[in-house]
Amino acid sequence: MWRQYDLPTSEGTRIHRAGKTVLYVAVEVAGEGEVLAAMVSYAEDSGLASRRKPKVPISVPPLDSPTWSRYFMGTSSTYEIVPGYPQMPVCIKLREPFFLPPAADLRGWIFSHVEARIVVGGSTIASYPLARPFKTLYGIPEAGIVCRHDEADFLASDEPVIDTMHEDPGLVAHPVRLRNTSPDPVLVNELCIYGEQLSILGNGTRMQSERLLFMFSGSGVRMSLEGQTELPAGWTQIARPRVSGEERFIVRSIELFRAMTRM
Amino acid sequence: MDATTALADAPTAAQHSSGALKLLHMDDVFGMIFNIESATKAVQIALMILIGLIFVGIIVTLIKKISGKRMDSRTGGFLVKTVQYAGFALILINAFKIANIDLSALLGAAGIAGIALGFAAQTSVSNFISGIFLMYEKTFAEGDIVTVDDTTGVVFSIDALSVKLRTFDNRFVRIPNETLIKTNVINVTRFPLRRQNIKLTVTYNTDIERARTILLQTAAANPGVLRKPEPFFMVQSFGPNGIELFLGVWFANPDWEQANNGMYLDIKKNFDAAGIEFAYPTMTIYPKKS
Repeated sequence: MWRQYDLPTSEGTRIHRAGKTVLYVAVEVAGEGEVLAAMVSYAEDSGLASRRKPKVPISVPPLDSPTWSRYFMGTSSTYEIVPGYPQMPVCIKLREPFFLPPAADLRGWIFSHVEARIVVGGSTIASYPLARPFKTLYGIPEAGIVCRHDEADFLASDEPVIDTMHEDPGLVAHPVRLRNTSPDPVLVNELCIYGEQLSILGNGTRMQSERLLFMFSGSGVRMSLEGQTELPAGWTQIARPRVSGEERFIVRSIELFRAMTRM
Repeated sequence: MDATTALADAPTAAQHSSGALKLLHMDDVFGMIFNIESATKAVQIALMILIGLIFVGIIVTLIKKISGKRMDSRTGGFLVKTVQYAGFALILINAFKIANIDLSALLGAAGIAGIALGFAAQTSVSNFISGIFLMYEKTFAEGDIVTVDDTTGVVFSIDALSVKLRTFDNRFVRIPNETLIKTNVINVTRFPLRRQNIKLTVTYNTDIERARTILLQTAAANPGVLRKPEPFFMVQSFGPNGIELFLGVWFANPDWEQANNGMYLDIKKNFDAAGIEFAYPTMTIYPKKS
């Protein structure tokens, strides 16, 4: 899925599948140029919808429907689909929360959904979440952060995750390390990830980020990158971090200062 | 008067005008004003004003740059204005000092004028001081949505004497700072999220458990509703017209409009599909048996 494509000028609507999510791409002629139309659909609709398979196949709305987003292509005749982290932080709710005892140091894996970005001539023209984009609050209502909601299992293993775990191409694996420096056990029920600091490393259909360190202390929890290591053989960097760790640290410090002083 | 008479009177007229000049001592006056010393002072004053203005300009630019990054626009604007006016006052005092003008008499007069002005500008001063308190409290900032009395709008600008709002129907409202100190101000967008309180009344033959399930499922299906804090359901009371239900759902501020409309539309659609009726005022009448 993550590669360059020619415009579907003579094949109708092109379908890109990422797990249960489908990204539709079509093209319309507009004068001397072409217009790329794109839309996304999610398999799991509302909880009220019937779980039975529909008797008739799902029809794609006509191109003049507002469901489609349109982008003028100019002289470009190709587009690329690349993975990227959501703009907002991702709060991953663990399906099975657990307590981390004091002084514990646990390594494991979690997964989160990436977004599919349509890139034309080096510029991102559209970005579609590969899971229905629900939101959640990380923190308290008066000072929390609104995040993208995601759910995952925590796999307590130091070993790399196996290929079958990567069945869904819309998922990126995060190796994580959890440390509890507080004197009390802490409940680990969600982990918040700032995707803009992370890269996406790819190997075939597998994607993973750098190792993340979550430090639980008496004053709360803090995420950081656990050092930058060399890429394993066969892995390439397919998405770079949007901001550096230092930049993020400075911005966070100013935000914290402003929150404390209300200046 | 013929030409011969006019010519004869000319020397007398010239003598009279020369006398008038002598009476005014014009030569002495010009000499007093336009001498070397006064010219030097004038140049000194002009230079001092020029250098002072440049100096104030540099300081104000620096403060603008620093405050633009570190402070909100209101505090930054206030600081810039204060420094600017203080700088102008210093320049003026210095100019008077160089010109050897005694400021004590001027200050005395200014004091009397100040009292008179104070009475006249009581409201403005009150608004200005209220503005300082508002700034200190940081009740709102530009771009926030606030409700003051019956007016709701986006804070358009915050000035020394008043706050300007742009209402949602695009009207410009000026609210004096004094009013903002005296009245209740609701800042709708102070926190990153809000709870929408949805109150419903359903008929007495409704299965409450089913209504609860549908409401919570409707909330769970709406992408604008936050998963945490979780939606909150409550049976409020058995009202005069039906069972009164309450559903509280949280939205991020930017999603408010869309998610709010989506919730109401979906609740109506899902209740209709489930055959749940909304109650309306009813009255049971029993015929009197004679």
